[in-house]
Amino acid sequence: MQAVVQYIFAGLAIGGIYALVALGFHIMWSAARAVNFAHGDTLMLGAVLAIMGLDAGLPFPVAVVLSLLASCIFGVLVERFAVRPFAKTATSIGWMLTTIAVGIMLEALVTMRFGGFSRALPSPGVAHAISIFGAGVYPQELLIPAVALVLMFGFGWMQRNTLIERGMHAVSFDRTAAGLMGINVNAISAFSFALAAALGGAAGILVAPVTQASATMGLVLGLKGFAVAIIGGITSAPGVVIAGLGFGVLEKFVEGYISTSAREIIGFSVTILVLLIFPQGLFGKREVFKV
Amino acid sequence: MSARATTIGFSLLALFLAVVPLTAANEYSLRLFMIFLIYAIVSVGLNVLVGLAGLVSLGQAGLFAVGSYAAAILSKRYGFDLVASGAAAILVASAFGALLAYPTVRVRGVYLAVITIAFGLIIENVAIEFPGLTGGTTGISGIPKPSAFGLPLKGMRYYWVLAVVLFVATLVVHNIKRSKYGRAMLAVSQSETAARSLGLNATAVRTFAFVLSAATAGLAGALYAFLNSYISPDIFTFSDSVRFLLMVIFGGAGTTTGSLLGALILTYLPEYLQQFQYWQTFAYGLLLALVMYVLPLGVFGTIVAAVRRFRPQKRSVDVTGAPGVEDAVRDAKAGAARGGALAANGLTVKFDGLVALNDVTLAVRPAEIHALIGPNGAGKSTFVNTVTGFYRPNAGRFEFDGLALNGRPPYAIAREGLARTFQNTELFGDLSVIENVMVGYQHRLAYNAFDAAVRTPRFRAQEERCRSAAISLLAFVGLTDYAHEKARFLPFGLQRRLEIARALAASPRLVLLDEPAAGLTKREIESLDQMIRRIASLGISILLIEHHVDLIMSVADRVTVLDYGVVIASDIPDVIQNDPRVIEAYLGTAGSAAEKVREAS
Repeated sequence: MQAVVQYIFAGLAIGGIYALVALGFHIMWSAARAVNFAHGDTLMLGAVLAIMGLDAGLPFPVAVVLSLLASCIFGVLVERFAVRPFAKTATSIGWMLTTIAVGIMLEALVTMRFGGFSRALPSPGVAHAISIFGAGVYPQELLIPAVALVLMFGFGWMQRNTLIERGMHAVSFDRTAAGLMGINVNAISAFSFALAAALGGAAGILVAPVTQASATMGLVLGLKGFAVAIIGGITSAPGVVIAGLGFGVLEKFVEGYISTSAREIIGFSVTILVLLIFPQGLFGKREVFKV
Repeated sequence: MSARATTIGFSLLALFLAVVPLTAANEYSLRLFMIFLIYAIVSVGLNVLVGLAGLVSLGQAGLFAVGSYAAAILSKRYGFDLVASGAAAILVASAFGALLAYPTVRVRGVYLAVITIAFGLIIENVAIEFPGLTGGTTGISGIPKPSAFGLPLKGMRYYWVLAVVLFVATLVVHNIKRSKYGRAMLAVSQSETAARSLGLNATAVRTFAFVLSAATAGLAGALYAFLNSYISPDIFTFSDSVRFLLMVIFGGAGTTTGSLLGALILTYLPEYLQQFQYWQTFAYGLLLALVMYVLPLGVFGTIVAAVRRFRPQKRSVDVTGAPGVEDAVRDAKAGAARGGALAANGLTVKFDGLVALNDVTLAVRPAEIHALIGPNGAGKSTFVNTVTGFYRPNAGRFEFDGLALNGRPPYAIAREGLARTFQNTELFGDLSVIENVMVGYQHRLAYNAFDAAVRTPRFRAQEERCRSAAISLLAFVGLTDYAHEKARFLPFGLQRRLEIARALAASPRLVLLDEPAAGLTKREIESLDQMIRRIASLGISILLIEHHVDLIMSVADRVTVLDYGVVIASDIPDVIQNDPRVIEAYLGTAGSAAEKVREAS
């Protein structure tokens, strides 16, 4: 019983991270029909910059805000220089590879400045564990899924109440037509990448106290976040968040009862199986086939 | 690429492979070159998947690992030699390749990328999870030195093994690329709809591409295990999959030379970048981004494009020696008078409650020109899409020369002799005009993959027949001057003609022309009129879907009129022209028109 509770909370925590990363993929995809394939590195950037900010003597909130801001700028730069030049090509190989290349550069830069080792971000959220049904849980672990849900609902509110979302929808549907209707296609695209990068940076800052921050932390988290986005249905914001939380819990149980490599095997097998049964993801919209 | 260029290219490759080991300064540089040979085998095979079939794999390292582990385990535990374990590696990797191809039935693009990424990571972790078989994280060491049939293959001997395998693999893959298989892959990736309407089984084509790329990756993995005599899970990571994909893109996707060049550059690049020390990885990423940015066609692709610009290729094709058009549309054995009869009975098609076709019964008699007309939204295109297998009818049946076609996939229906054109032209844009027509001929080519791989006389004879039939069909529609132009550069009117030539190449007994006159000028419509008559004179039945009344009244033997999914009339043109229901469907009733005028005033 105690182990089960433990796994659920730990799973929701890591699942919240996947959900935030996946939400970022959803936002980029919604506006640009393209994503930053190295989005995991945005997460790494957020975590590492926050730690470097604290090293430089900045107060915690200031370090966090500056790191989020830097993540946004990174997102805009990726969109402008790695994605937009390939937006009009038919295949996705172009932006896939350029964004991967950007990720390689960023990881190399961070390794040089930050060092090749892992460091934890000190946070009040991991100072003391609290006991729930006998399981030790850090407040930080409760905070992560909560943040994911709040941001999901916030994004949902934005979708219903602002013009930006309608613009994103129009742009994703048909760039040219949206442009002709007076929508600034490039601005919408850049905005979505900035927003996604902010979520990615936030995920990094949230996860760094629990796991550790390092130059290479982003790769696996990014790949899993993308897998989760695809499982949940990349066109559905609630879908990717639910899939993220579920994926996290599944992982913790497999890890707890079998092993870490079994966790990867089962997690990715589930990804493939879900896609075979639901080609558009669990909550995604089916695209209409027309001859 | 011309035959001469191919010969020169492979001679240069052979020379290169023979000379490099003589110049190798030491053991290390020879070993590095052998690594290149192995990577090149992967790259050449992956090019089939990425460059031809247009599918992205980010899990190629997983297939490489499968081959490596299969060879390592079999040789160490069961004493398999190089040949036996290499063959086993190919088999195991191919099986995984076929498995990976299955999802492509339903998912493409980034979805497929995720599946291949997941596959690669699963393989990596399976290698860790089952230490009894794979040695876990420490991997397998002490893999026996390579030998074949009792002959030890150490040092330079192993170099020659690798060189010969690369040369043969490249030759085979290149030959496959220049055959109906390569054309089919390009066709399916450029317009799956058109490919299926011409008798191509898109799933089989993609599976073949996957298996070919998996077999080469598996073989390369086995060769790697013997070269290194040690393997572990950390040699087969996601980054390695990325590097394999980069080799293809970097060199120039779709070109054999490019995939060799890409493998060469990306094997040696890290070595040269070592001088930047700390900046090595950064420089690697920067260079990749720059190449994607500056040379989107890849290194070799860009060179080819530049050469083409300065030395434009001949666009036209010589018609001398091409058979008559009767022979081109008809296989010698099939005999004459082949007009097919299409009978649709009570076809009903619904889209979420909207009834597009309601109990439609229509018969096209052998060798007649049957026109299907009706206002916009009457269900004409739905009818065409249903009888060609793209839509499943909710009720009713249709048969062709007595053969029930219900429930058959489009490619199977096409192979029975039903060819079609598309309302919005569906050409293979990046294939040349003549290649488009040759894809139409595809299902008449009987040679197999082995014939293609070694270019047997059977292969050559059939390819020659295919090409000359394509030429005579181009002459038939008046496109011989554009034969080597890319199809997407043709003006719209000529694109429509090309679609007709392509459909005829499939040797149809019935052609469905879906609004062939749409968007054509008056003069083009006149020549279309002539062309339709000439097709009919070849004994081919025609179902003509059209709006253009003059054209219909001029060429059609019989006319069927659809309105709101219902057949309201079916008769000879003169009767149809005066049928009050038809006039009402097109113009509204006299009464209602008068009422409108009254209301307006």
